[in-house]
Amino acid sequence: MNEDFWLIASVAIIWAILALVYALAPWGDMIGYAWVWGVGSLLFLGLAGLLRTGRTGGG
Amino acid sequence: MSETFNTRFAGLPAADRRLITGIAAVALVALALGILGGLLTALARGGFLDIVPNTGYRLLTVHGVSIFFYWLFLAQSALLLGFAAAEEGRGLVRRGLAWTGFALMLAGFVFSIAGAHMGVPLLYNGAPELAEQTPGALLVFNLGYLLLGLGLIVLPAAAIVTLLTPRWQGRQQRLSAVGFALFAWAGFLMVTGFAALYTFLPGALWALGLAPFPASHGTSWHIVFHNLHYLPLMAAVILWYVLVRWLTGVKSVFGERFSKIVFAMYLVFVPPTSLYHMFLEPDLPGVVRVTGSLLSLFVSVPTLTAFLIIVASLEVHARAQGGRGLFGWLRLLPWRHPSMAAIAVAVLSMGLGITFAFVLIQEKLAPLLSDTFFVPGYFHFFTLGTVSLTLLAAFACVLPAIGGRPLWRPGLLRYMPWLAFAGLLIFGAAGVAAGYLGVPRRVIDVAYQGQSPALWQGLMAAVAVGGAIMAAALTAFAAGIAAALWPARRPAAEPGGLTVNWGGVTLRPGVTAWVGPLAVLLIVAAMYVFTAVGFELMQSLPIAGSGAGGH
Repeated sequence: MNEDFWLIASVAIIWAILALVYALAPWGDMIGYAWVWGVGSLLFLGLAGLLRTGRTGGG
Repeated sequence: MSETFNTRFAGLPAADRRLITGIAAVALVALALGILGGLLTALARGGFLDIVPNTGYRLLTVHGVSIFFYWLFLAQSALLLGFAAAEEGRGLVRRGLAWTGFALMLAGFVFSIAGAHMGVPLLYNGAPELAEQTPGALLVFNLGYLLLGLGLIVLPAAAIVTLLTPRWQGRQQRLSAVGFALFAWAGFLMVTGFAALYTFLPGALWALGLAPFPASHGTSWHIVFHNLHYLPLMAAVILWYVLVRWLTGVKSVFGERFSKIVFAMYLVFVPPTSLYHMFLEPDLPGVVRVTGSLLSLFVSVPTLTAFLIIVASLEVHARAQGGRGLFGWLRLLPWRHPSMAAIAVAVLSMGLGITFAFVLIQEKLAPLLSDTFFVPGYFHFFTLGTVSLTLLAAFACVLPAIGGRPLWRPGLLRYMPWLAFAGLLIFGAAGVAAGYLGVPRRVIDVAYQGQSPALWQGLMAAVAVGGAIMAAALTAFAAGIAAALWPARRPAAEPGGLTVNWGGVTLRPGVTAWVGPLAVLLIVAAMYVFTAVGFELMQSLPIAGSGAGGH
């Protein structure tokens, strides 16, 4: 795992926290924000997973 | 370095070249249609064209839909696929996904434009309140955006698979800085595609009688709008990074890893900063307003950081080539290439756009300015000056490399971005001034039967003049670039002297680069001045501000 993975995984984590905050926000109608960034978080988690896969070696 | 990019693009499989030129061609059609709609709207607002207001709103809808949704996102799609395919020079993997995504977006374009000509003009945000009596029109209009959203989910997947294949095959351990930027860009496009589905599906379901009326469309629109606004800006910065390398051979002096961090910063900073779109909501608690104001200060951090990386890297390399004086090194840049001129105008426009954006998104000023002509006055610095010219700059490099036909009259085309900038300055200055004085946006006739201040119509006339100059220059620039869409029978070499190659130069230790930091300082100072001007003007007006909706 190198910086490619960690940077994309960090984005996924931050978006997940943000989605949670939006989902629990008592003001406004923020559930849409929670949905979009929640789905985004899952997508980037998947992308981070793709960055983990691959053969070792090469250059 | 230009040779490397040219070779990689020229060597792409014919199927990839057909796909990329096909998407680019449709993007340029969307741009032409959008320019026409914008020009006619500006002339009508300026009093130079006598049309009924409904026709004006329809033209405005066509303008917004064609430019903001289809030109910006089809062009991004073409360039994302092109640079992903050229990253290794081996072409696209899973090309079928890219074709499917393109077909969905093309169908979406047809539906959206058809919907714009049905029923009450919906404006580009497709407000369902305007279609309560014509649900069929909303259905057609929203189907367009839904197809676009699906396309934005499917098409970038081809770029992602292409970028990851070398890693999966053991030929690469880490992405290059450009590869990482393309990867992040593709992911963000997919999230935005989902946001479009989330925003426009309820309206389509209501029109079909399958769901209740989408009363919360305004909030959903803020979500997709925020992404649609910042994605092209992220794309523009990535393209500056790539094009500077194409035109000068210069890579970041801060290293690839730092560039990756900056590109990732876009994805970290953009979502939380969206709170400022809520400032017009009357029930938003004070603590959220304060938080939103503080977060909004971070929104331009990635853009300014990337700008600093690029300018500093260019400056130290130009100084190594003999550039002298604070600004003297700028003369050494490859100004004969139209893309260099377009990037320069894009950077200047970004500085002005950021300055006025920070005035607008302040909690105290947002309710007063958001429904005025201040908004179109400032955001054309982004949409036209920064993003559209950057996308065209990229096409000016990519399309000749793909088709083998040299860029049409680069000696003439290089002046078009500056002419567009001249029009933009007139449009922007008149528009921002009109906004400060309370001229409403989204109103075709501001005369109000002669009851409005005389200055309002004068400012709208200036907006029309500036808009006409912008439209003419942008059309000429885009048409010149579009000529490269026709493949040459025999590939011809790029005319000599359009680019420079400073890539292999050894840099002297201790060399300094001041223009980037000074430019940021200037932007901050200008933001302070225009905010102060805004407050002074607003306090002198005998009205209280109240707003509804948003951008």
